[in-house]
Amino acid sequence: MSTADIIKRCEALYEDLHFSAAREWKAADPSRKVIGYMPVYVPEELIHAAGMLPLGIMGGGDQMEVIHGDAYYQSYICRIPRSTIELGIAKRLDFVDGMLFPSICDVIRNLSGMWKLMFPEVYVRYVDVPQNYRDDIGGAFYRQEMQELLEALEELGGRKVSEDDLRASITVYNENRALIRDLYRMRSETPWQVPSAELYLLSRAGLVLPVEEHNAMLRDYLASVVDEERPIKDNCRIVINGSFCEQPPLNLIKSIEMSGCYIVDDDYCLVNRWLKEEVPTDGDPLGNLAYAFLHNSADTAAKYAETEEDVGAQLVEIIKDTKAEGVIFAAPSFCDPALLWRPMLADKISEHNVPYISFKYAENSGQMAPIREQAGTFADSIKLWS
Amino acid sequence: MAITAGIDLGTGAVKTVLFRVDGDDVEWLGKRVDRIRNRDPLQLARRAFEELLEAQGMKEDEFDYIATTGDGENVAFSTGHFFSMTTHARGAIYLEPEARSVLDIGALNGKAIKVDERGKVLSYRMTSQCASGSGQFLENIARYLGIAQEEIGPLSKQADDPETVSSICAVLAETDVINMVSRGISAPNILKGIHLSMAGRLAKLLKVIKAGEGVTLMTGGLALDEGLVAALNEALVAQKLKLDAKGHPDSIYAGAIGAAIWGAFRHEKLQQQGGLAKAQQ
Repeated sequence: MSTADIIKRCEALYEDLHFSAAREWKAADPSRKVIGYMPVYVPEELIHAAGMLPLGIMGGGDQMEVIHGDAYYQSYICRIPRSTIELGIAKRLDFVDGMLFPSICDVIRNLSGMWKLMFPEVYVRYVDVPQNYRDDIGGAFYRQEMQELLEALEELGGRKVSEDDLRASITVYNENRALIRDLYRMRSETPWQVPSAELYLLSRAGLVLPVEEHNAMLRDYLASVVDEERPIKDNCRIVINGSFCEQPPLNLIKSIEMSGCYIVDDDYCLVNRWLKEEVPTDGDPLGNLAYAFLHNSADTAAKYAETEEDVGAQLVEIIKDTKAEGVIFAAPSFCDPALLWRPMLADKISEHNVPYISFKYAENSGQMAPIREQAGTFADSIKLWS
Repeated sequence: MAITAGIDLGTGAVKTVLFRVDGDDVEWLGKRVDRIRNRDPLQLARRAFEELLEAQGMKEDEFDYIATTGDGENVAFSTGHFFSMTTHARGAIYLEPEARSVLDIGALNGKAIKVDERGKVLSYRMTSQCASGSGQFLENIARYLGIAQEEIGPLSKQADDPETVSSICAVLAETDVINMVSRGISAPNILKGIHLSMAGRLAKLLKVIKAGEGVTLMTGGLALDEGLVAALNEALVAQKLKLDAKGHPDSIYAGAIGAAIWGAFRHEKLQQQGGLAKAQQ
C-alpha cells in the first residue's frame, strides 16, 4: 500500500462516526463484543485478551452537530461529553457492548453514571487509577481494579481469560507501542517526512481497528513513507501539550504546521503511548501492567503527581530529547485538568528558558485564522529572535 | 552573502522580489506584481517567480533561501514562511529606516505594527473581521461608483463636504453609499467620507499599540492611495497622535521585501547550524 492509500484509509476511519470498521468486525462473528473507552488510557490488553475489540471514543469531532448533548451539560463544560452523549442518543454506538470511563476529571466520571442510567443494557465502568505510586499500595489497588474489570469482561464474554491470553495481548500491544514509538521517533528526526496530520490520522486509526491490523498499517506506513520525496522547510520545532482528552480538529493540527512549526511531540491519542516501555510478558501479567502504569507511564494533568518536582518533569525531558525550540499549550476550552496544570508547566519550562504560547480550542473549532496568527508569530519569534 | 527571493501571496495580488544580501549591504535585484484575478495563486506564484528569474538572467539553484509570506504557506518550492506581520515590519524598515510604526492595509484587513530599528515587531493590532477597513471594501465602492481604482485618491482629495459612512460594518457602509448616490452626493465627497471612516479606525489601531511619535509607513495595496494617506494624517491630528503617515513608491512590496531579507538572515543562521536539514534534526 502506498503512503497516500494508507492515509486515505485512515482519513475515512477518522471521519466515520458510524464506526463502520468496528461494526463490520463485530458482524463477522455474532459472539464478538465491542468495548468503547474514552481518553486518556485504559488497559486495552484486558479487552483484547477477552476476545473483544477496544474502541476509542474521542467525541464527535467537528463533523457532528450536537443537539441533544447540550441539554445535559452547563455552558461551562467542555464539548467531548456533549458530543459523546450525542453519539449515544443518535444510536451511533448502539453496537457497543460496554463503555469504560477512565479517571480524567469530574465531568467524565459523572458521564459514567449518566451512561449507566441512559443505556442500562450496556456494561459501564468507571476505571479508577492509582493516586499513590508505591507498588504495595497504588500498585495493589490498580491491580485489583484491573482484576475486577477482567472478571466483568469474562462475564460479558462468557469465557475465562487465562494468564497466557493476557501475555499474548501484552505482546501484541508491546509491538503496537514500539511501532508508534518508531513513528514518533521518525517524525522527531525528520519532521518534514512525517507530517503531523498523517501521524495523527495513523494514531487515531489505532483506536477503531483491531490492534493486529493497526500494527500492519503502521509497518506499511513506516516502510513506504521513507521513499516519499518531501521538501524540508525552515520551520521551528515545537511540542504540543494539553490536548490529551478532547481532540483538536484535524485542521488545527494542519494549521500549526502550515504556520511554520514542526510538531515534534504531542499528547494526542495518548492511549497508544501511555506505557512508555515494553511490558514484560513473563510473570504476573496484571502485576506487570500495574508496574508499568506506576513507573513507566506518560504524564498528563489527568494523572496524579506525587510531588511538585514531578509536575512538568516529563515535558522538560521531551523538550530535551526532541530538541524542541518551544511549546504550544493547546487545551480544550473548559478542560480543568489541562488548564489548571498549564501555569505550573509554563513555570517549569520557563526555568529552562523554553518559550511558549497558549490557546484554547474545541473539537469543533472552525476559525483557524487566530491560531495561525499565534502559531505564525511564535514560529517567527523563535526563528528570528531566539 | 545570500541570494534570496521573497514572495508575498496576498488576497488580491502576488508580489515577488529578488535580493542579494551581504551583511548590511542589501541589493534589490528584481520585482514584479501580478494581480490574481480568479487564477490559482500557487500556480501564479510559480510562474511569476520563473518569469522574474528569466528577466534577471538568474537560475533557481542560485537561491539560498526562497521565503514566502501572506497566504504563501503552501508554496511548494519555498524554503520557509514568515508571518505577514514579521515581514511587513522588516520591509517597512528597509523602505523607510525612520519608521517606527507600520500600517499594512491589504485587501481583507488592516494591521498596525509597532517596530524597532531592526524591524522587530514590538506590538500589533488588526482590524476586526469586518471588511470595512480594507482594500476590498474600497474596491467594491469604486466599482459601484464606476470609477477606476487609481482615480480614488485624486478624487477623494477634491472633496469639499465629505459624507459620514458607517465605520463598523461593510454591509451598512455599502448601504450608506447607495443612499448617498441616490441623494446626489458627489463621488469625491463619498470617497473622502469612506477614507475618513477607514482612517479613523486605523488611527485607533495606532493608538492602541502606543505607536509613539515619528514616521508611520503605510504598506500593502492601499499605501499609495493619496486620499487615504491624507485622511489618515487628518485622523492622526484629530486623535492627537504625533505621527506622520506616508507611503512609499514600493510600499506594495514591503511584505515580499521583508520575507527576502529575513530569508537571508535565516540562511546565515542555518549555515552556522550546518544547513537546513541538520538544523531540523
